[in-house]
Amino acid sequence: MFGYIVVNQPELRIREWEMYHSYYCGLCRVLKEKYGRVGQATLSYDMTFLLLLLSGLYEPETVCGESRCLMHPGKKHTYRYNELTEYVADMNMLLTEYKCMDDWKDDRKRLRLLMARILGRRTGENRRKYSRKLEQITAAMEELSRAEEQGVMDLDKMAGCFGRVMAQVVAIRKDEWEESLQRFGFYLGKYIYLLDAYEDIEEDLKKGRYNPLRERYEDPDFERGCLDILTMMMSACCREFEQLPILDNVEILRNILYSGVWSRYQIVQSKRRNGEHYE
Amino acid sequence: MSDPYQVLGVSRGATEEEIKKAYRALSRKYHPDANINNPNKAQAEEKFKEIQAAYQQVMKEKTGGYAGGAGSGQRQGGYDEQDPFGFGGFGFGPFGSFYGGSGQRRSTGYEDQPHLRAAGNYIRNGYYREARNTLDQMDSGERNARWYYYSAVAHSSLGNNVAALEHSRRAVALEPGNSDYRELQQTLENGGSWYRQRQAGYGYPTMGDGGMCMKLCVANMICNMCCCGRGFFCI
Repeated sequence: MFGYIVVNQPELRIREWEMYHSYYCGLCRVLKEKYGRVGQATLSYDMTFLLLLLSGLYEPETVCGESRCLMHPGKKHTYRYNELTEYVADMNMLLTEYKCMDDWKDDRKRLRLLMARILGRRTGENRRKYSRKLEQITAAMEELSRAEEQGVMDLDKMAGCFGRVMAQVVAIRKDEWEESLQRFGFYLGKYIYLLDAYEDIEEDLKKGRYNPLRERYEDPDFERGCLDILTMMMSACCREFEQLPILDNVEILRNILYSGVWSRYQIVQSKRRNGEHYE
Repeated sequence: MSDPYQVLGVSRGATEEEIKKAYRALSRKYHPDANINNPNKAQAEEKFKEIQAAYQQVMKEKTGGYAGGAGSGQRQGGYDEQDPFGFGGFGFGPFGSFYGGSGQRRSTGYEDQPHLRAAGNYIRNGYYREARNTLDQMDSGERNARWYYYSAVAHSSLGNNVAALEHSRRAVALEPGNSDYRELQQTLENGGSWYRQRQAGYGYPTMGDGGMCMKLCVANMICNMCCCGRGFFCI
């Protein structure tokens, strides 16, 4: 679920990268303040994207400062945070908790269960704060895991469940942008789910695990078909994005949405081309 | 409604960016949050709603009607349990010919089958879930080109874009001469080419160009590592 929505850094201008990084640092600070070191460790670029997106849409007052941190003790970094940073930090914690539980169920990774429990302890307050969202997210996640158990191969259904999760995460509040953000998050979530399935297909087949692309993998046009479907998801997502009145940092956001989101896809592709085992 | 361009104070030839800027400026002035202590806040709110509607309409026109979706105006506020998104129209296809003028309505005996006719009516009125149920109840033997066409529209509007594209292709394969079917397939496929055009501006290497991709990816991976992008636990 993480590591998909990133920038294509070589294509960013230096000041764009610095701007992006300052939101990343700001998110890191808020995670640490609110959730301690465990929280800080869940920091991700994906959520930095969400923060930039929402900040661009709502244009809240943003605090900017400079500091050193444990990760980069040598150099001072600019950080930026605003009222949306806390929301994004909360969502980051919730998603990480789900992800850890999922890994525990899938692979019985003990560390993940431990992590989920630690995170769960710190996110107790969020259960009340976001009860409506959580209800929807939990329902979608449960539907997804039931369908996986039943071996459902309907891509729209499977990816749609995760799309509904992301729709809830992205659409922060009930306002004039709620529907647009939900649609945006829905298709982004579908993209993430399918890209994850695409990445794991070979390993899943080997280990006899569920993968929604299993049947399509037999198709000689599998690669082309996957690319078309993934492109279609990002296209639907970007069509929603382009309708939003976002001006601040819009070029960074476009770098991510039109280019960065394909980084992982490219890594998988080149590994497959070179016949490496992908772990 | 008055002319949306006038509401926003932009010309018809304005770029998307100019429209967004104009909207921003007006929304800062009239947004309810900015008018909490304004004695005329009711008027400000009215104005804000007007700006909001104008913005959405103008953007829809500017972007070739690709968003907002088929029939989104027909079933508004459908935010209910059954349709958790409440998007009357989830999709983005301007199914002009479907909803279009009466001149395009044909009676070629397509809809002799009552279920199919019912599904068509549901779709025309924006009840995509009901259309979906009706279509799914039909036997596979009854699934002709029309069935796949309706199915594609219903799927697209419910956000099932994979099935929508596949069914639109089936409709065309079964009845290649039908221009409505071809148009729908093109609309659904167009999303991809629209995206690829925009992609070109953001340094995305063309498919199959291994060398360049690799460089970008390696750079990205290194960057992820040094920034600890994925956390200690490599989540």
